[in-house]
Parts: sequence; structure tokens; C-alpha cells
Amino acid sequence: MLIFLLRRLLQACVVMTVISIISFVIQDSLGDPVRQMVGQSVSPAEIEQIRQEQGFNDTKFEQYTRYAKNVLQGDFGTSYFYKEPALDVILKKLPATFELAFSAIIIIIMVSIPCGIFAAIRPKNILARFLMFSSTIGLSVPIFIVGIFLLYTFSIELQWTPSFGRGDTVLVFGIWETGFLTLDGLSHLILPSFSLAIALLPMFVRLIRSEMLEVLHSEYVKYAWAKGLSPARIYFVHAFKNTMLPIITIGGIQVGTLVAYTILTETIFQWPGMGSLFLDAVNRVDSPLISAYLIVVGAIFVISNTLVDLIYGYINPTVKLASHGL
Amino acid sequence: MKVVARFITLLSLLICSASYAATLHMATDADPSSLDPHEQLSQGTLQLSHLAFDPLLRWRQDHTFEPRLATSWKSIDKLTTRFELRREVYFHSGNEFDADDVIYTVKRLKSSVEFRALFDNIKHIEKRNSHSIDIITHKQTPLLLNLMAYLFPMDKDFYQGRDDIVKFGNSFASRNLSGTGPFIITSREPGTRIEFVRNANYWDTKSKGNVDRIEFSTIKSDATRLAALLSGDVDFIFPISPLDMPRVKRSRNIQLVTLPSTRILFLQLNQNRREELKNTKVRQAINLAINQEIIVDKILKGFGTAAAQLSADDFLGHLDSLTPRFELDKARQLMREAGYEEGFKISMMAPNNRYIHDEKIAQAITAMLAKIKIRVDLKTLPKAQYFQEFDKRSADIMMLGWQSDTLDSNNIFEFIIACPDAKTGYGVYNANGYCNPNLDNRIKSANRELNPEKRIRLLQQIESTIAQDAVIVPIAWEHLAWGAKQNVNIKDVINSQDWPYLGDLVID
Amino acid sequence: MKYSVKELSLLPISKQRWKHIWNGFLSDKLAVLSLVIFIFYCVVALAAPLIAPFDPYDPQFMDLENSEIAPYWISGDERFLLGTDAQGRDLLSTILYGTRLSLSIGLLAVIIQAGLGIFIGLTAGYAGGRLDNFFMRCADIQLSFSTMMIAIVFLAIFQTLFGSDYYQQLAMIMLILVIGLAEWPLFARTIRASVLAEKQKEYVDAARIMGIGPMRIMFKHILPNTMSPLLVIFTIQIANAIVAEAALSFLGLGMPVSEPSLGSLISIGFSYVFSGAWWICIIPSATLILLILVMNLLGDWLRDHLNPKIYKD
Repeated sequence: MLIFLLRRLLQACVVMTVISIISFVIQDSLGDPVRQMVGQSVSPAEIEQIRQEQGFNDTKFEQYTRYAKNVLQGDFGTSYFYKEPALDVILKKLPATFELAFSAIIIIIMVSIPCGIFAAIRPKNILARFLMFSSTIGLSVPIFIVGIFLLYTFSIELQWTPSFGRGDTVLVFGIWETGFLTLDGLSHLILPSFSLAIALLPMFVRLIRSEMLEVLHSEYVKYAWAKGLSPARIYFVHAFKNTMLPIITIGGIQVGTLVAYTILTETIFQWPGMGSLFLDAVNRVDSPLISAYLIVVGAIFVISNTLVDLIYGYINPTVKLASHGL
Repeated sequence: MKVVARFITLLSLLICSASYAATLHMATDADPSSLDPHEQLSQGTLQLSHLAFDPLLRWRQDHTFEPRLATSWKSIDKLTTRFELRREVYFHSGNEFDADDVIYTVKRLKSSVEFRALFDNIKHIEKRNSHSIDIITHKQTPLLLNLMAYLFPMDKDFYQGRDDIVKFGNSFASRNLSGTGPFIITSREPGTRIEFVRNANYWDTKSKGNVDRIEFSTIKSDATRLAALLSGDVDFIFPISPLDMPRVKRSRNIQLVTLPSTRILFLQLNQNRREELKNTKVRQAINLAINQEIIVDKILKGFGTAAAQLSADDFLGHLDSLTPRFELDKARQLMREAGYEEGFKISMMAPNNRYIHDEKIAQAITAMLAKIKIRVDLKTLPKAQYFQEFDKRSADIMMLGWQSDTLDSNNIFEFIIACPDAKTGYGVYNANGYCNPNLDNRIKSANRELNPEKRIRLLQQIESTIAQDAVIVPIAWEHLAWGAKQNVNIKDVINSQDWPYLGDLVID
Repeated sequence: MKYSVKELSLLPISKQRWKHIWNGFLSDKLAVLSLVIFIFYCVVALAAPLIAPFDPYDPQFMDLENSEIAPYWISGDERFLLGTDAQGRDLLSTILYGTRLSLSIGLLAVIIQAGLGIFIGLTAGYAGGRLDNFFMRCADIQLSFSTMMIAIVFLAIFQTLFGSDYYQQLAMIMLILVIGLAEWPLFARTIRASVLAEKQKEYVDAARIMGIGPMRIMFKHILPNTMSPLLVIFTIQIANAIVAEAALSFLGLGMPVSEPSLGSLISIGFSYVFSGAWWICIIPSATLILLILVMNLLGDWLRDHLNPKIYKD
């Protein structure tokens, strides 16, 4: 287990190094940030002066050493737009994205497990068929169409939910801005988290259903029936427990998709999180922010995947770690 | 008896404060990039300045001047103007406002990269007493008062010693603010929202404004911003896309207010890049082939004014005789006469997120020029990249919008029409390659001319020469649009410069 | 291997089984309907230049006079069956060309995915050992970053790096490459698992004993036996690629307005949500959703009836 962990760490380092090299290339070669920051009547000479001050005229090598040294100290440079250390800016927006993703995950768990199990144990039931058909439709409707549709229906026509932003937030532990603790914050969460959840729900319902079907056909479930165990016990304890493994694995991988989809959701609902921050940074050619985002998101992916692997190893100790491709 | 009296006072206080307690939730497409009023000369900065600072004087809706921190002014001689300053005005920090603050602010303005050009002409300021100053200019100018609308006195004692203007840097002034304005910033999250509370000691007690809190959000997407207004999450938004105006008009509890702006959108035809464009007939043909009316009608949905010149309606250079012409046959004939009957290929660039529907207008122009066999290779770019390309003059036709900072025709002529001259800053945005020394002389003399009638004649002459030579292709003046709930009386506080005076806003 | 626990039992599908499957297919009305619609889309996309009433790329046919005309059944204007957009372009023509573009992007991207995936999957499965470990590790990492994420980051940066001007010319190639290169692991894993299963089988041993080279064994003997899972992945992946392209277009990272795919048509249409010109948004959206839906239904049907195991994890 220790070797496994060490190897995982080594791999994580390799991945992070690759990401940081990409980040430098971006930092180094992204458009000219100076021109768009100045107003309409600034002369070329003055622009050149700003370039000089900002160090854009140094050689590539100088810029590179500077960057590498700073990143090692956790300094990604100062965001041109926010005028604050890029890492701080990103970490400040992290709670918003995290809470959005977290709520979506909760919704996915609450909905997909009962639906998936039901569709598996009563495959012929009309409701189950309806569930499966709507999951196919759900798979076919792009998330941004869902988002706009929800926004239009519930916010504008029915006026049940707020249409943008996070609403009131409370500062907890001195660093974390949470929207979970205010009614206003929660109501702002509804639409974005539902559209994010809807994007991934169909996949999980289908996954749980098919895993469940497979397990239900396995020998030991047949044996459990023969033993005369109660259906509830068979379904929820024996069968479902055994579907957890692949679901956790895939769930871990879907964190990446989830983060990608937060970019879309945040754009639609003007959610002040990391995703919309990234797109803004790209539009403003705010290169310190872009590279910091890449490194932070890269770290999130690497950590979440390593965690999933560890959980997997914990739940299923029989797994041969060597065959993980290590 | 005393108790009753007290009770009544208390009650009346309660009622008063009840009528004096309104929170304004507003959303716009961009927030000021810095709290430093001198870091960037942008719409966002000026909008913020009108909230947290006060100018010496400001434009009313009819383009006359309203005294603010200056109570009166008079001309002493050709180069000197005397301003009396308002007494008993206090900054947010508690410091009292006086002449030193104005002198300090002008000095800082003259060191600001972006504002320097505007304030170049001010030689120095003579302090007469604590609330009276003489402003002395290098050359005589008809536009000194226009300039004073950009002078927002800063708190000298608050800023001094830590007042570096650092572009995109983490300076003191970019994070802290002390002005005399009606609102004080309580919290700010760049790119997302700013919160203001009303300045309890605001000097303008006559103002009927009753907004005591502003929650200022930034929503970039037009549709989402409108959704926020329609769903009741915000009370006041701007801008509104012309496309969405029918929807706004349909809602009974939402009011839509539009005003013509003075920002002119036009095309620059680069004569240095293309031999064909040196030919006046070709330029005239292009002008005739482009149908400004239909662009305004179909793309701007009528929320614009078709243009045939650079000067807006209330600018001195405006000529009523110049109206948009669309004559396809004449255009084809001119092309024939110029020897380009078979047309030619040409490149064009336009921004896609700078002006209202810039990309759609550019596409429509492509189609219009195809009718006189000019095949346009159009590229549209986000503004950050577009202005780099503009500096390089990368295409034969380039789109540009220009808002005259001084609300005067000559500002446009100086930057767009005058021969490029890096030293004087003339023609910095001239991407048409047109250079007419005659016209340059007239532009220069218009800068000094104090006799209004002569000046009008000069400016109008310039305008008509530009039209004759078809130097550029004017397209339209965009209209500004604001949307608000019915109980928010935005009509009285908005203006064509797009700086809402929210201090005077009344919410019923 | 967490996925190798479930080994595949893929029998070579005989002609008779195909016939059986086909008969089963014909009796499933929903599946037949889906196939008919899908074929209709393909035909229409192929023939777009022939059947479209106008050429949407030609500015000659853009006339502001005709902008925002409602579809025929509302406006009665027979020139424009589905109405026109804000530039006066015929919506039917732009949708036809857009479908063509979306399908081509999807198809080409998936061909790249499949080519790369099959090659790596076969190599990894057959060679085993370190090479296998290396490839599967790469697949893990690649998958954990999610296609959308990679595509968004890569395209956004590419666009800023080289300017949107340059980007507009290369948009289609970039989209195909990004979507194509980011999703190979799905193919690779499925193929690898099949190869591992097949390798155990006697006929492979027999072939090896007969002195047939590994390449020949892989392509002649093993690959044909993995056809049914490939077919399923192929269908679903094209649908996914089209959705991915649409999402990227929504973020402004897809096809340019001058050459719109279905996704960019929808994203242009979104600014008309409030304008009353609903058709500019709704019709392309419905076209896209229907296309994806029938492809997913077909994919589902194939999966249920060919019963392959797909290694998404």
C-alpha cells in the first residue's frame, strides 16, 4: 500500500510538472495584455513604457526562470485585472464552484440511486421504461439548452427562483464564503445545481441500472434468493453494495466532466466561480490567472483521482494494486 | 406633553427614514477595473467617479453645465478662468474639501498616462484663497468647462504620499477611495459586485435622491442581465441589447429609457494599403452602397441614428444637410467610372464585443459591398485582440467607434481625420491614410477659436470636406438604453454620456 | 486491473447471428424510426449543397431586407420555409449546412478517436507488460481530465495565442483534432479488454503456432471480433462529439459565425430568446436534439442487442 501511495505521488508530480510547463508557455506567449488595458488615447511610446515596467521585454529565459522560481514559492504572479495574487483570486472563487459542484453531486446521488435501482429491479415497469426513455432524452439535450430553459421557465416566467449570482453569503472559518447558510444563498443554488446535475444524471441512472442488473444475475444473488433473504436486504445490502465499486470509479472520473460543466453552468447563471473566472481571464488575456487556474484545476483532478483510487483499494482490498498499471 | 412631543419627533423621524431608505440593485455589463479614478479613462471609471466623487461641474441632460464642487466661474483673461469652490464639503475620510485638493488632483491627472492628453493644456493653478482658484492654460481654449466635467477632486490628505498611479498594479489608490461623492464603497469583489452606502454627510442636501444602498452587480451576458431585471432580482440595468427591447416593452412593470448617444460608429478605408481606395470615386461608391438606414432599422432595431457625418446632432460641427444616402445604381456607376466595374477583393476587420452588434453590422456591410462586386474578407475579433490589429492597421477596412470626450466635433477630427503625427498626438487613430494639410490647419485653428459663430463655421467646413472626399464611412450613432422597474425614476438621472447620476435617483 | 475483472465473452458474430439481429431490429419500431431519421439526416447533410435553396456562405444571398422573417407557416413567405435569421439568411439553408458541418466534425473526430484507440488498444493488449501499463496509465490520466475540460482549455488558449482571426480559419480542424485526440482511451480500453480476452482463445494460439505474425493476428483475427462493441461506441461517440462541439460553440470556442455548425447556430440564436424571433433559436436546437436523440437510441439498441461491454471507466 505504501509503495502504491508513493508511486501515485510520483505520478501526480509528473502530471503536475507537465501542467506547470504548459502554464509557463501560456503565461509567456499569450497575446499582449497591455494594449487592452489602456484607453483610447494612449500613445505607442507610453504603451512601450508600460511594457518595459511590466517586464514584457525581457528575454524568454529571464522570464522563464522568474516564473519557475515564483511558482515554486506558490506565487503565480499578480492578476492584471484583480490586482491581487492570482492564487488568492482563484482560491476566493473556489468555494462558489465547490458548493455548486457539491450540491449537484448531492442531487445526483439522491436521484440516480433510487431511480437506477428501481429501473433495474422492475425493468418492465412502465415507470422504469419512462425513466430510461427520459434518461436517453436527458443525454441528448446539451447542458446549456437545459440551463437556458430552466432559467427562462423558473426565473423569468414563473419568477420562483433568482436568475443570477450567489445571493447572500456568510463567511465561515474566516476564509470560506458559503451560500449554504442563508435562505437567499440556497435559493440561488437551485437552478445552477439542478442544471449541472441534469447534465450528469442520465449517465448515472443508466450506469447504476446496468451494474445492478448485472449483479442481480450473479450467482451469489441467486444464492441469496435461495437462502430466502428478504428482497429489500438483497437489493439494497447485497446487490447495491456490489455496484458501488464501479460507480465510485466512474464517479471519480466524472469529477473532471463536472468541473468542465461548471464552466458552462457558471456562464449561463453568472455564478461567480472559478469556471467563469477562467473564461473571463481568457477574454482579458490575464495570463497569470489562466496559468494559476490550470495548475489549481490540475491539482484538483489529480487529488480527486488519487483519492478515488485509495477508496477503491479500501473498499475492495482484493484488488491487485500491481495490475493498476503501476 | 414632552413625551408626546418626543414621540411625534420619533415617529416623524421613522417616517422620514422610511421614505429615505431604498436599496438599489443594479447590474451593468462591466465594472470599473480599479478604484483609482485616474488609472483608466473608461466608461466604468467615469461612472464610478460620479458615484464616489463629484466633478467641479457636470452636464445636465440638455448639455448645459450644472455647478457641483465649483459654485461659479468666470473668465478673467484669454488664458485664465476663475472658479469659486463650494464650502463645507467633506470627503468620505472626514477631511474638508478646499482648493489644495483641486490643485493636487490636477497635478495627479497630468501625471496619468490616460488623462494626461486631456489636461495637457492646463499650465498651472493659482490658489487665491481656500475656496477660490484661477486655472491658467497654455493656449486659449473654448473647451475648458468641458474639461472640468472630468475633474473629480481627490482627497489630498488621504492619498498623498501613497498615490502612485500603477496600471494593473496593486496600488493604494486602486483599492482605497476617498471622494466627496454621494456614495461610499463598503465592499468590492472585482468583476462581480460592489456595494455602496449613501454618504450621510453629503453636501448636496437639496438632492431628492433617496437611495441609501446600492448593490452593483456585473452581468456580462445581455440575456442574463435582462433575465435578472425581468425576474425582479435587480431594479436597474444597462445596457440593453436592441434585440431584447421588444421583450422589455412587453413587460408592464418595466420601463425602457433610450437616449441617442454621441458615439459615432464608422469605417476607415485605408488608402495607404489599397490603391483602389485612393480613388475618391471608389470611396464614394462604398459610401453609397452602404445602407445606414436599414442597418439601424434591422440590426439596431431602430435604436440608433443613421449617420452621414461624424458630428452628432448637438455637436457644433453637425450639418443638417448631410443625410445618409443609399444609391446602388449611382455606386455601380462610380465603380465603373473608376475602372473597377468587376470589383475587387478587400480585407476588413471589426471587433465582436466592443460596440452594439458590431459583428452583425460588419456582416451586413459585407453583404452590401458584395452588391457592388467588392468581395470583403471579414474577420471579427474580441476587443483585446482587435485593438492590437487596429494599431498595426492590419486590414483595408477597419471599424471604429468614437466618443468625443469633450462633447465637441473637433475631438473626433483631431484623432481620426488629422494627418498622423506622433509628436502632437494628432491623428493617432487615423487608419484611413487620408492627410489633408488644409484640413489640418482648420482643425488647429478650431482648437483656438473662441468666437462661437466662427468656430461653428470652421467645424462645419471640416465636416463637409470629409463628406465630399468620402474619407470614412459613417454608420450610426448608437442609442443608449436603460431598463428599470417602474418605481425607479431613472429618467431624471441618466444622460447621453452614460454616467447615471445615481445620487439624485428617487425610488418611489 | 479494476476493469479486467470483468472479462468479455465475445463470440465471433456469425452471419446467421447478424441476420437474427437484423430481424430483431426490424421488429423494434422505435429503433427503425431512429434509423430512418438518422439516415435522413445523413442524406440531407451529404446533399446540402444540392438541396439547400441558398448558399449561406455567399454574402450575395444575405439581404437585411429579409431579416427575421418568420417560418412559412406563420409569415406565408414561401421563399424561406423555416424563416430567416437576423442577417436575412435562409434558416433552412444554414441548418442544412450546419448539420453537414456538425456531422462531419463528429464523424471525423470519432474516426481519429477510433484509429488512435484501436492502435493503442491492440498494441497494449497484445504486447502487455510495460507498454500496456504505460498506455493505460496515460488513458487514466487523460480520462480524468475529461474531454470537455481539455477542449475548453486548449481551444481557449489556442484562440488567445494565435488570435481569433487565425482561429476562424482553423476552427474545424482544431475541433476535430481536440475532440478526436481527447477521447481515444474509451476505444483503447475496450479494444484492449477484447484483445486480452481473445488472446486466451485457442484460435489465436493456433494462429501463432502456424507462424502468423502478430500484426496479422491482431488485424485479421482479433479486430473483427471486437466489431460489435466498436459499433456501439462509434454511434454514441459521434453523438457525444456533436454535443461537445455544440457546447464549445456556446462558449464561443466552436465554429465561427460565418460558417456555422448547429452548435454555433444555437449559440447565435440565444441572443434572440427575448426578441420574439424564437425560430432563430428553437429550430436549430430542435434539429440538434433530435439528431443526438436518434443516435443515442440507436446506440442503446445496439448495446442491448449486441450486448457488448464498454469500458468507460
